[in-house]
Amino acid sequence: MKNNFSFLILFLLVQQVIAQKDSVVSKEIVSLKYYNENASMQYLVLENKLKTGKKTEPLRNKTFQLFLDSIAAPNKIGSVTTDNDGKAKSFLPPALKGSWEASAQHKFLAVAPGKEDETAAELEIIKAKINIDTLAGAEARSIVVQVMKYENTEWTPASDVEMKVGVQRLGGVLSAGDEETYTTDSSGAVTVELTKDSLPGDQQGNIVLVAKVEDNDLYGSLFVEKAVPWGIAIKSGNNFFDQRKLWATNFRTPLWLLFMAYSIVIGVWGTIIYLVLQIIRIKKIGTASS
Amino acid sequence: MLVENATSLSEQITQDLLPKKFGRRGMIWTAVLILFCIIGAYAYYRQLRYGLVVTNMRDYASWGIYISNFIFFVAISLVGSLITAIFRLTDVKWATPLTRIAEIIAVSAIVFASLIIIVDMGRPERLLNLFVYGRIQSPIMWDVIVIGTYFIISLLLLYFPLLPDLKILIHFKEKSGKALNKLYRFQGSFWRGTAEQFKITNRSIRILCIAIVPVAFSIHTVTSWLFATTYRPGWDSTNFGAYFISGAFLVGAGGVVVAMYVFRKYYVLEKYITVKHFEHMGKVVVMLALLYLYFNINEYMIPAFKMKKTEQAHLSGLFTGEFAILFWFAIVAGMIVPIIIMLFKRGRKPLPMFIAGIMIVVGAWFKRYLIVTPTLLHPILPMQDVPASYHHYFPSWEEWAIAIGSLSGALLIITFFARIYPIIPIQETITEKLEESEEMTHGKAYQRESEYYEKPVLTPKEQAHEK
Repeated sequence: MKNNFSFLILFLLVQQVIAQKDSVVSKEIVSLKYYNENASMQYLVLENKLKTGKKTEPLRNKTFQLFLDSIAAPNKIGSVTTDNDGKAKSFLPPALKGSWEASAQHKFLAVAPGKEDETAAELEIIKAKINIDTLAGAEARSIVVQVMKYENTEWTPASDVEMKVGVQRLGGVLSAGDEETYTTDSSGAVTVELTKDSLPGDQQGNIVLVAKVEDNDLYGSLFVEKAVPWGIAIKSGNNFFDQRKLWATNFRTPLWLLFMAYSIVIGVWGTIIYLVLQIIRIKKIGTASS
Repeated sequence: MLVENATSLSEQITQDLLPKKFGRRGMIWTAVLILFCIIGAYAYYRQLRYGLVVTNMRDYASWGIYISNFIFFVAISLVGSLITAIFRLTDVKWATPLTRIAEIIAVSAIVFASLIIIVDMGRPERLLNLFVYGRIQSPIMWDVIVIGTYFIISLLLLYFPLLPDLKILIHFKEKSGKALNKLYRFQGSFWRGTAEQFKITNRSIRILCIAIVPVAFSIHTVTSWLFATTYRPGWDSTNFGAYFISGAFLVGAGGVVVAMYVFRKYYVLEKYITVKHFEHMGKVVVMLALLYLYFNINEYMIPAFKMKKTEQAHLSGLFTGEFAILFWFAIVAGMIVPIIIMLFKRGRKPLPMFIAGIMIVVGAWFKRYLIVTPTLLHPILPMQDVPASYHHYFPSWEEWAIAIGSLSGALLIITFFARIYPIIPIQETITEKLEESEEMTHGKAYQRESEYYEKPVLTPKEQAHEK
């Protein structure tokens, strides 16, 4: 029993020492992410951070060179420098259009300057695109999203792709149905019924439907949006800012407040002026009597 | 015989109360204050040069010791209305020697209240925008208006009772020196002491005493509304105006007690600021401390009883958390201990009163800090994705230097005032002492015949009227 207890203490101590040793090891992490927005804007985001134990901190002002498929001058996407969050962004330049269209699969490479023989980060993706459409019936309104991948020189449906489908609100994406995420079927499609009605839209009643594939292992991050007139038009009162209210500008001060404030100010400052006049009077009396 | 006694008494009072040159201690005291002011000015230069980033105020604790200092100054300035106005209006005779002390504390505090609020601005030149684009709907605008008004009224209340004393000061040219005499002449050479002048002055003082009370109440109520009109834990109270005013009276009275002791000791004024004055002030301070304690119980016990989720973190921080030491110090040292000291007759002697006064003033300064900062560090929406340092606040050396510099500046105004003007009203003291001696000598009338504190001189018009 005593022996067992000693072993337990020894084991815990060894664990503690190992854990402490682990916690002081620092490791620099460079990661790449690919984004495709509305099938038109494609860009890469590089993130550079330092991991010390369980803590990570962004590495600022670090420069990297980005390449498409291979580390060669003609394939250079650009040179980027990390910001305060340790992130840097680069768009695919038009000069690489030929290389991009030549293949269905691509590799993005990040290297630190002066270390061209050593890849800092690598990301492989299959070209994919995402479309959004709507089906509006008499009783229900549905959102149809389709993800297509480029394979054997043609676009084919991409199945088993998880995504968010919903309505863009100020704080994020409000899911269209009851599920948090949806997955494409064998036809590469997802159909979601918009169960939320009476959503406030813009002045014309438009809301923005969105579909978002986040950090997919094969296709990267895909995003598409479409404005539809399914919301409730928000009519802001034409006279909202013209009212005499407490929140209005100084030109629209409530009359009761103006009356109160000016009565008090005039009353008190009138008294002060009267008292200053009394000093002048005292002075006159003094001058006259001398 | 009676006239001779009156004259010698008047001369004695005048000699005792005329402003005196700084001694060695006075010089050291003034030099130290000036040094603190210079360090504060340098820290402010750094703040102007590098921006508010030199402070430790960040997104959440955006009001730090500058605003605490501002409330402290506004609070202590209220004593002018208590001692000078309320006591005058209620004919409290014993408070006469304390009126000028109270008024100069009020004026110096209000000057630095105005300055410290500008210091808190990252772009002080934008103060002008307040007047160009100011909205009367904003409590900040109300504060600017009442502070300006209170300053002017306090200055007038300081100036009117000073007029008869200026004549006395002008008379003692060789004692005051050329430069000061020039100043006295500029301010009061027209004072002849005629009945008409006395009449106008007395009426003006009475009007001022009435006018200053609502303005003084406004200044601190509006300052409290800067907080109470904001929906935040600790500030969301309908009681804030009364709570602030009661606290202001307490710290102001505490400040007067400290000043009474220091002036009495330094200028040897034991005959004028007597043990009786401490006795009376002790009773007043106990009443004010009890009143403020009552409001504190209301402000903290009732929310603690309900312990609403939004208030929980704030109240726990005060009672048992990171602000607990300061909080209990402010309550115990700033209120409870002074009450215990001054409840007893022995505690209302000058030295215990002085110690209690210091405790009240120091406790009050920290109390203002506790009103401002803990609330800002406990917003209703949780603090997310911010650096760890944003969760706490401790002032930077620049903030301390500016805050201490401003306190030194206020003390410097009081110090220079006491060097230039009589800190106890001479004329009023003479009148009161003569009245007292007149009452003692069978109620006989006396004639004040002296070249500088005489019976009001009647102008030919007044003489004709009297006939």
